[in-house]
Amino acid sequence: MRPLIPPTGRRLRALAAVAIATTLLAASACGGDSGGNSGSADGKVTLRFTWWGGDTRTKLTQQAIDAYQKDHPNVTIKGEFGDWSGYWDKLATTVAANDAPDIIQMDEKYLREYADRGALLDLKKADGLDTSKFEPDTLSAGEFDGGLYGLNAGINSFAIVANPTVFKAAGVALPDDTTWTWDDYTRIAAELTTKLAGKGWGSGAPGTNEAALNLWARQHGESLWTKDGKLGVSAGQVTAFYQNLLKMKDAKAIPSAEFISQDINASLDQSAMATGKTAMSFVWSNQLNALSKAAGTQLKLLRIPSVEGKSSANGSYYKGSMFWSISSRSKHQKEAAEFVNYLSNSTTAGNILLAERGVPPNTEIRAEVQPKLQPADAASAKFIQDIGKELGEPSPAPPVGGGQVEKIIQRYTTEVLFGRQAPDKAAQGFIDEVNGELK
Amino acid sequence: MSALGELGSLRQKKPAGQKKDNLAAYLFLSPWLLGLFLITIGPMLASLYLAFTDYNLIQAPEWIGFENFTRMLSDERLHNSLRVTFTYVFVSVPLQLAVALLLAVVLDRGVRGMAFYRSVFYLPSLLGSSVAIAILWRQVFGTEGLLNQVLSLVGIDGKGWISDPSTALGTLVVLNVWTFGSPMVIFLAGLRQIPAMYYEAASVDGAGVFGRFFRITLPLLTPIIFFNLVLQIIHAFQSFTQAFVVSGGTGGPSDSTMFFTLYLYDRGFGNFDMGYASAMAWFLLVIIGVFTAANFFASKYWVFYDD
Repeated sequence: MRPLIPPTGRRLRALAAVAIATTLLAASACGGDSGGNSGSADGKVTLRFTWWGGDTRTKLTQQAIDAYQKDHPNVTIKGEFGDWSGYWDKLATTVAANDAPDIIQMDEKYLREYADRGALLDLKKADGLDTSKFEPDTLSAGEFDGGLYGLNAGINSFAIVANPTVFKAAGVALPDDTTWTWDDYTRIAAELTTKLAGKGWGSGAPGTNEAALNLWARQHGESLWTKDGKLGVSAGQVTAFYQNLLKMKDAKAIPSAEFISQDINASLDQSAMATGKTAMSFVWSNQLNALSKAAGTQLKLLRIPSVEGKSSANGSYYKGSMFWSISSRSKHQKEAAEFVNYLSNSTTAGNILLAERGVPPNTEIRAEVQPKLQPADAASAKFIQDIGKELGEPSPAPPVGGGQVEKIIQRYTTEVLFGRQAPDKAAQGFIDEVNGELK
Repeated sequence: MSALGELGSLRQKKPAGQKKDNLAAYLFLSPWLLGLFLITIGPMLASLYLAFTDYNLIQAPEWIGFENFTRMLSDERLHNSLRVTFTYVFVSVPLQLAVALLLAVVLDRGVRGMAFYRSVFYLPSLLGSSVAIAILWRQVFGTEGLLNQVLSLVGIDGKGWISDPSTALGTLVVLNVWTFGSPMVIFLAGLRQIPAMYYEAASVDGAGVFGRFFRITLPLLTPIIFFNLVLQIIHAFQSFTQAFVVSGGTGGPSDSTMFFTLYLYDRGFGNFDMGYASAMAWFLLVIIGVFTAANFFASKYWVFYDD
């Protein structure tokens, strides 16, 4: 708190005294809540745990917390949850106020942002956290500079989601996703648009987030980010990516610019995919469940198209859908680590959480959970399993400042779709701006 | 000021009770003073300091002098946000005041049920900057929104007004114009101050409706117009909620609704760039200060005080 303006006279001094007295009164009136965050003599510990997500996630996570508290009567866990959009503003301010939650559900985009500034604990040094049962590849996304700052909470992969009902209505057969090329994709999507005769479109647009560009870059021997934390994609490849986007637009494979621009901001429940306006779209595999629910029909995951029609060369990789991190300023790092260990390695938590955050990275838990999955989760788990042999190297995590890339690409994609910028100009703008954000 | 003066005169009359009175006064003032110092002045001074630092919200701020300010010179998105904000201010404020004045004049003519109409027209002002209305706006101007449905009745093909960069800002201007209620109420009060005899005299001299409006109403109303202009310009510069909600927090499409305040928020809370955001806040303060000062200066040439 800032000091008051220095008192210059008796009057002001009296004023300050009154002000302080009032503060004390106010403080004592609403006191009584202090000490809730620290351990007390009887060994009781309160942990704060924050996550983003919808109702389903909140319910499941609370169940997992309840089960943990039953076994650990000395630990109380307070859940703090909210929507994705407000989550990061809130996290940034609590961390700034030195009031960060002990356990944080973290996203790849912000992992380095927080870790590089010393806000996260190196989980390799945390007591009571076992990662030996994890599939080795799944750890690397949370690993850098020799430390582990985020523990994979579930695996997903970027994919195409298809609505079989819309395909059927249009009289188009579901494609063979192991051999299709980008040209096939555009052709099929355009055919769908034509046959739907104004009732919908073949596909959503790639480029409404950075994942499609990353896969495009990986298919062409580049990558969105490099291992040493730089932008890895060239202006030429971004240009080619946008030229392909325009090709899709000219073929009417994707909706109008206005429609896409509106869809970017739509919530999942109101997105074109959920309302059956598009037959295909670009999604993260663990969203299959939520999207199927919203669409009211069982949707299907397909592999991302490739340049040569070989799905093993489509650049796909296992991504950590989200991560568990522990605040470096947590007063109860050991207890927090034990709780993260429980979330990741215990069958109790596994059986409650299932695959809502993506397929469990712990192979034993995955085997345990597999038979219990609901159809949509089972389908996404199977998809993850199926593509396992085709995957390339894991994709490097975004560097500090890289979290901005989603907003940046959305903006340039909009510019290109509205014809306000040519692909090469937008590509250069994209590269310059992303580089400007990296620190 | 007058309260202090009164306190001073009390002191002269009753030196014995002075201390007690002062204490009581400060005690009653203290909730407001606390708010002023802790919630307004404290954070303002803090942000003035942060404006000269590189502060990422997590690590301690680092003093970098004027770097944040020089950076503004080459920040194209900031320049764009200024363009958007100025367009918004200079299009929506005159339109809003014109609508408010027009309706005030109409209502002042003694329409029956005037209190009712006044309330009805004031309603949008109460709702205008709320999140609920901004969400409603998205529905009205969306691809399948109310506006397009109305247009389709007369055979016009609508468009996604909010999702098209060339019309998105327009929808926000309309939203601001729609909240003409508070300047309207002030205009109404001003109109009541104009003595009826001026109009009577003008009528006798053969002045028509327009003559009376431009020769009597408008000149005598200039102080009120000036007051509304200053307030609404400041208000428009600070607009945030509408753009934030209508664009889903992005200022999009393509930064077409990226107000200066929205960009400031995006920098500070979205990009961990609180030092730069603080510098931007002070820059906005200067901009608003300059415009307000210019307004006061120009007022000498067109505002007429009838005293």
